Amino acid sequence: MKSRNLQGKAAPDTHMLTIVGLMVLALVIMAVLQPGDYFTLRNVRSMIFQFPEYGILAFGMMVCMIAGGIDLSLVGIMNFTGVLAAMIVTKMTANGSDLSMAVPAIILAVIVALAVGGCCGAFNGFIIGYFNIPAMLVTLCGLQLYTGLAYGITGGPAINGMCDAFKNIANGTVAGIPYVLFIYILAVAVVAFVMKSTVFGHEIYFLGSNAKASRYSGINTLKVTVMTHMFSGILGGVSGILITSHLNSAKSSNGSTYTLLTLLIVVLGGVHPDGGKGRVMGVALATILLQLITNAFGLMHMDDNAKTFVNGCLLVAALLLDAYLDKRALKKKSE
Amino acid sequence: MKRNNDWKLTLTSTPMILIYVMAVFCIIAAIRQPAFLSPATLVNLCRAGIFTMCFAICEMVVIISGGIDVSFPAIGCVAMYVPMYMYNNGMGVDNVFFFFGVAMLAGLIFGVLNGFLVSYLKLPPLIATLATSSVASGGLIMLLGTREFTTLPPSLEALYSINLLTFVDPNTGFNYPLTILILVPIILCLVMAYVMRYTMLGRGLYAIGGDSNAARIAGFNVRKLQFIAYIFCGVMASATAMIYTTLMHSSTTTALMGEEMIIIAACVVGGCRLTGGHGGVGGTVLGVLLITLVENNLNMLGIPTSWQTFAVGLVLLLGAVLSSVQAKRISKMGKI
Repeated sequence: MKSRNLQGKAAPDTHMLTIVGLMVLALVIMAVLQPGDYFTLRNVRSMIFQFPEYGILAFGMMVCMIAGGIDLSLVGIMNFTGVLAAMIVTKMTANGSDLSMAVPAIILAVIVALAVGGCCGAFNGFIIGYFNIPAMLVTLCGLQLYTGLAYGITGGPAINGMCDAFKNIANGTVAGIPYVLFIYILAVAVVAFVMKSTVFGHEIYFLGSNAKASRYSGINTLKVTVMTHMFSGILGGVSGILITSHLNSAKSSNGSTYTLLTLLIVVLGGVHPDGGKGRVMGVALATILLQLITNAFGLMHMDDNAKTFVNGCLLVAALLLDAYLDKRALKKKSE
Repeated sequence: MKRNNDWKLTLTSTPMILIYVMAVFCIIAAIRQPAFLSPATLVNLCRAGIFTMCFAICEMVVIISGGIDVSFPAIGCVAMYVPMYMYNNGMGVDNVFFFFGVAMLAGLIFGVLNGFLVSYLKLPPLIATLATSSVASGGLIMLLGTREFTTLPPSLEALYSINLLTFVDPNTGFNYPLTILILVPIILCLVMAYVMRYTMLGRGLYAIGGDSNAARIAGFNVRKLQFIAYIFCGVMASATAMIYTTLMHSSTTTALMGEEMIIIAACVVGGCRLTGGHGGVGGTVLGVLLITLVENNLNMLGIPTSWQTFAVGLVLLLGAVLSSVQAKRISKMGKI
């Protein structure tokens, strides 16, 4: 037990250093290539507006992956909850003209989004835990199901015309700092607290490192699986609100590249794809690193597809680095 | 007693349940829309099923070997785009073999990449193939741009116009031609059914999917077999993509993207387990038939097209639950 803890602490530290190193590298490259545009307040702020929606999504993926599973349905949950929230807001404020109902509408929309996100996640978790079906398959079905629900409800076209108060959630600032930064920091704090300081968080780590052993040691694996996916679904709901507010439109096909992006962030952040290992800070740092890179591509007017290409290469590189570090740690241990 | 048990087992096995579901679907569709019963539906079904069938066989081989490949749509897009791009830019000859050759070469390259990532670097197959997928589709658009080729070169046009038979609807006078390319999935199924069941290669794929460690100790070359599975998937998916271009008269950089869900669905519904080692050509064929039937004829049941994604997801989920319940039942029987 103790040795596992020690080992768990030693490995991600080198990983964290690597990420910070890569961030510094990205910054240096940009300082050379685009010194005028990159280090401006406006650019920093535009970066902050962009990353929380998929940063929070990445935490959902992280939680499931630490538990030994994966959650591919997050984008589906995000769009489904986003569509529901958008419908509530537009219906209750009569397409943004009746502002007296704006605040209760937004509160209701947020509650519904989180609750529905939680339910979708819990449904995934139940099917995975009860029927013992691989998480990948169930959440793949989930993606199809929730995207289908969003598509069926909207019938195809996007829902637009939210009131300004709702748009402000992801586009507003207080003293020059975007609200979303506070939401993101809050999410980081909550996830970090749950993973580090609650029994549930530790059960997730146990379940991920050895499912059989954790069942024999008295952990209710079905309950933990359901709760893990519920947690991830709630995070999906949060980013559903954020993306709907950010784009001021909700439809079933928003953010379809986020699945790969969140996977990349999580793996880059040092979460082991087989489960059991991973730290919140690593994932948060990886999110910021990715945003730095995305932003750099944007400033250099590179094609979006070049980004996809680089992301794919980065994913493989991160996995290779992980495998190498694992091997080295093993060697050190045997010495 | 034992005989009786066998009989019951056959009637409630996964393939039989698929057949029941399809029968119920067809009966309901026929009651709601008598036009469903025309041979035109069958011809359309065959046409629509060609790509799904070929892709599903590729995916099945990988799933049986214990992996998963979500990169074949991206590989397919590369394979259908590159030869057409070369032809339209004056590089290349107007020959069916040239088009298919270049396509399969592209598939080979990415298949080798997948195989390398999975078998040598031991990366999780899902993540490795996702990475390949983004490298392939991102790289393709970055290097060659997004164009759409809608006119076929004469040789492919000639291939397109060979039909096995043509059904003419007596009421409307519409032609429903059945292309010769329908033979590709049929031959592929027959060959793969033989390979998977009766050759060392096929048995090896089942073995490494069931328990790669045990297979290694039993003397199978796990790496080589994994390599073969991914290369087969890449090459065959590329050929299928070329067939797609021929039949649809279209070649774009994103034509096949998103197809992977349906294909994996078809395999799983047909009894392949994602944990590997289970499944077969027969089940996969039934799975493909069911998915194609549902996808193409949902409107006959009065379900609006906007709910189709949801309905396909539901079918997929039920298939997964069904196969898990079956697996549990069989393992319980073994204990008694």
